[in-house]
This record gives sequence, C-alpha cells and structure tokens, in this order.
Amino acid sequence: MIEFLTIPGVILIVGAFLLPFLPEKMRSSVFLLFPLASLYVVFTTADGYSFSMDFLSYQLQVMEVDRLSRVFGIIFSITAFVAGVYAHHIKDLGQQISALVYAGGALGVTFAGDLLTLIIFWELMAVSSVWLIWARRTKESDGAGMRYLIYHALGGGILLSGIIWHYADTGSLAVESISQNYTISNVLMLIGVCINAAVIPLHTWLADAYPKATITGAVFMSAFTTKSAVYVLIRVFPGWELLTWFGAAMAIYGVVYAVICKDIREILAYHIISQVGFMVCGIGIGTEMALNGATAHAYSHILYKSLLFMGTGAVLYATGTSKLVNLGGLFKKMPYTFGLYMVGALSISGIPLFNGFISKSMTISAAGYAHNETAQLMLLLASVGTFLSVGLKLPWFTWFDREENDIEVKKLPVNMYIAMSIAAFACIFYGLFPNTLYAYLPFESDYHPFTIYHFVETLQISAMTLAGFWLLKKKLAGELIIALDVDWFFRKAAPTTRLVLVTWVDNFYDRVEDGILSITGFLTEKFKNPMLWLNPFTDRRNKSDGYSPAMDVAMSFIMLTFIVISILYFL
Amino acid sequence: MNKIVWSIVGITLLITLGLEFTFLSDYDSHWWNSIPAFYALYGFLCCVAIIYFGKFLAKNIVNRDIHYYD
Repeated sequence: MIEFLTIPGVILIVGAFLLPFLPEKMRSSVFLLFPLASLYVVFTTADGYSFSMDFLSYQLQVMEVDRLSRVFGIIFSITAFVAGVYAHHIKDLGQQISALVYAGGALGVTFAGDLLTLIIFWELMAVSSVWLIWARRTKESDGAGMRYLIYHALGGGILLSGIIWHYADTGSLAVESISQNYTISNVLMLIGVCINAAVIPLHTWLADAYPKATITGAVFMSAFTTKSAVYVLIRVFPGWELLTWFGAAMAIYGVVYAVICKDIREILAYHIISQVGFMVCGIGIGTEMALNGATAHAYSHILYKSLLFMGTGAVLYATGTSKLVNLGGLFKKMPYTFGLYMVGALSISGIPLFNGFISKSMTISAAGYAHNETAQLMLLLASVGTFLSVGLKLPWFTWFDREENDIEVKKLPVNMYIAMSIAAFACIFYGLFPNTLYAYLPFESDYHPFTIYHFVETLQISAMTLAGFWLLKKKLAGELIIALDVDWFFRKAAPTTRLVLVTWVDNFYDRVEDGILSITGFLTEKFKNPMLWLNPFTDRRNKSDGYSPAMDVAMSFIMLTFIVISILYFL
Repeated sequence: MNKIVWSIVGITLLITLGLEFTFLSDYDSHWWNSIPAFYALYGFLCCVAIIYFGKFLAKNIVNRDIHYYD
C-alpha cells in the first residue's frame, strides 16, 4: 500500500484529496509539495523498477520506470511545480484540485506499465483538465470546455476500444512498441493517441479551448495533454512512417495559423500544434537520434511553452485583454514580463544558447541523417514561421508598435515573476549546458549542437526572417477577427445534428409517450365499468369498488374464516 | 528601432556568411550546401511566403467576424 502511494501520479492525486481539508491560506503552498515529492520519487527510483497490483483478473503494472519514462516524469513534475508557483495567488480550490489531478494523470500515463492503467490516467486527465477551462466562467469557456470534453471522450473511447481489440488479438496489455502494421486495433489506438497529440485534422480542441482556459490553467494545459500523448507515441509507435508526414504537415499548419491569429494566447495554442509536429515527425523517422530529438524537444518545449503562456497570461492578467488589436506599447509598463517572455520566444525559435536550439536542431538533423530532406526542409520552414509568429509578431504588437496606447496595467503578483524566472533560468541553463539534458535521454547520444554549421544555419534563417518581418510587418497587425478551422464543419453541423439526433428523437419519444398515455387513459376509462358498453340497455353507473353492505359483511366473514383456518392449520 | 533591427540583421549575416565561406566551404551533406547563402535565402523566402500565404488564406477563406459562431 505504501508502495502504491509512492507512484508519482498517485502522489499528486492524493494531494488533490488532501487539499480541501487544509486552511485556505496554506493550500497554495502545500500544493507545491506534491510535485516536489513526485520529483524526488522520479529521481530516486532505479531504472527497471516495476510495481504490480491485482485488479479483477488482471495483473496491472501500475508503475514501470525506464529512461524514457523518467525524463518525462522529471519535466512533468518540474512544470507542475513551476505552474503551481505561478498560480500561488489563486484562491480557487476547484482549480487547484483539478490542476493536481490533471498533472497526476499525466504522470500516471508516463509511468503506466500496462494499457489499462494508462487509459485510466488518460481519462482522468481529460475530465480534470476541462475544469481549468470552465473555471474561467465565461460563456465562451463554457462552450469551448464542452467541445473539449466531447472531443476527449471520443478520443478516450477510440483508444479504449483499440486497447480492448489489441488485448483480444495479442493477449497482452503491456505498453510496448508495436511494429508498423495498420490493423484495426493499432489504427484505433493510434487515432486515440493522435487526438490528444493534436495531430491535424484532429487538433481543433486545442486551439479552441486553450485560449479560453484560465490564465493559470492554460500554463498547466500547455504542458501535459499533448506531451503525454507524445510520450505514448514514442513508446508505442516509433518509426511509423505516416507520422513523419503528419508531423511535418502539422508543424507548418500550426505556424500558418499562428501568423493569421490575432489573440496572443491563440497564437501560442496554434503554436503548440506546430511544435508537437516536430516531435511527431521525429517519432515517424524513428531512428535513435530522432527519438532522442523528439524526447529532448518535448522536454525543452514544456519549459519554454509554459514560460510563454505565463508571459501572455501576465499580459492578460495586467491588461484584461489578450487581443492584439487592444494591445501594444506595453514595453515601458511591463519591461520584465517582456524580457522573460523573450527568453521563451528566443528558445522556441531555436536561437543558439537557448534550450530550443539544443533540441530542435537535433530533431531537424535527425531528419537529415535519415536522408529525409523533404521533411528537413519542411521543419526548417516551420521554424521560420515559429520565429515570425511567436518571436516577432506577438512581442512586437504587444510590447511595441502603438506607443500611444494608454491601456491600464494592473500590478502582477510577485509569484508570477518568480515562476517565470525559474522557467527562464531553466531555458538558458539547458541552452548553455545541453549535456545536462542529453544525459537523461532514452538512448546514448553523441550529438553536438554547438557546431559552426548549426550556428550558420540557424542564425542566417533567423536574421532573414527578422528582415522579412520588418519589411512586411504591417500585414500582420491586429484585427478583430476569428480564424475558422476545420472545427467549422462540426460546429456548423451542430444545429442540424442536434435537430436530427436530439430534437427529432425527443419529439418522436414525446409523441409515442403521449400516444401511449392517451391509449392507457382510454382503456382505463372504458374498463372501469365494462357493463356500461357491454350492456347498452342499462345506465347504472357502478362503482368498481362499491358493494352493498350485505355483500361487504359476507366477504369479511369468508376472509375471517380463511385466516382462522390457516392459523389453526399452521399451529 | 529601424536602425537596431537592420544592424542586427547586417551583423548576423556578415558573421555567418563569413563563417560559411571560410569554415564550411567544402561542407557537403545535402544538395543545397552547394548554393551560397542558402539558409539566408531560404529563411527570407519562407518568411515572405508564410506572410503572403497566411494573408491570402485569412482574406479568402478563414477570417470571419468575431461573433461568427454566436
């Protein structure tokens, strides 16, 4: 039992149960202890450790540790801690609990040794994270949360059916790599995982929901759902060629939308899709270097993306808006936030000496070494878009551009600065000392990011992207628009679908119910006294339970006799 | 701002092109390595292409009024 409680995912979920019993003032601080405890467990548990439990007739491997799960476990625990610091000023118990369960779910998935444990934590992530959207308590977040939940319920269902089918076929529930073979069970599992990884065209829940989540909730969300799916892809589907092209395509798709969008958190949300594309592409390539690249990129990405979400969240907190059209000229009012945001922005753009460089260049080089030059050029195109949208467009139109903007700025809580500083420090630290990360990667790595070739490649691309942006920046200015995505099809189809599948069905049942009730009423009425219509020559209205007093007495006497005889008989 | 931006672009290009022509002159692992300043050209063309493509897409297909779904 004690061993069960030391599973990282369980630690956080137990924390969520304890939190309500603590005084309100202590909750935010105690919150931070659980990710730290989980980080401690992750660091101190040896490779190859496994813990199993009996459940029904199955033996579940509830926790299994190896190099791959450890590196994800480390970064998930760190992010839960950093995001907890960022949310330290929040007094909303609901958000704190759902954030802990959500992070616990992601950690549970990471260390799950069998598919049944995995799907339980997987579903737990979906149902807990949706509260971080609903906690915003606006009309938009209500709708987006519901769409998010439906999407994930569908994804979880598809994954579960794949798992059941897989078990029926192979008799094994182990979480292990499956060789590329498009059987129904494999495809179902792949689709289920791809929904969580936001692989296009199954990505719209992300771009829809994340910008509408709470300021602090979005920081948690940016880290866990997609990256735990990336983990499962690395674990189960390495080298599935289709993923290479879907990954490269989503890397570009994400940045094109990030260029189009006019809401700072929506830009970042679309940009997660692009970044996950790099990882998915690496997983599709499937060489040791590419899988290392995907893992390293997931690690780096979680750090700088949470930093970026914290930076934009700080802008939203201070100004009350996240629309580019209302922002601009904030540099003098929020210089520190700008500085910290730019650390994240330069990291994500893969500028040397920041942590994006050490992982992105690894993934792109892996494509090159695998002689997949088309994929390599597609990823380079996506990195141009990354720098353009997140590194230039977003900060320019938020902190500069309209100097005359007299928008009022609220003071930020200190804990927000602390959280952003921790993340920014980590981004720079890993950028300067890449081996501290490479040492934890699943495969031995002799990759060296700091070569002249990589410097020349990255800096030339970035410098000319800056030139291109500077010449054409007017074309990217903020407007009040929304950009349609493929969710248009089902959002537009929703009224008709509701009419056909809900309203019409409802109406049908209503009619049937009415019909049955009226038939019942008719029959009851008629059979209350059938003599009325069986014998048309009488007009006596008999009451069905009304007898003459003599009849009553006779019947009571018979009844009494019956009771007395039966009592005598049994005695 | 204008001056800062152009000097960042200029200095970076100067250094990286210098490195490319001295240290990487015989580097050859992809077909594009024989094209001088390929990455600078690629970066600029991609940037312009994404902006115009995004703009085209926005104008003709995806942009809608903010209350479109309400």
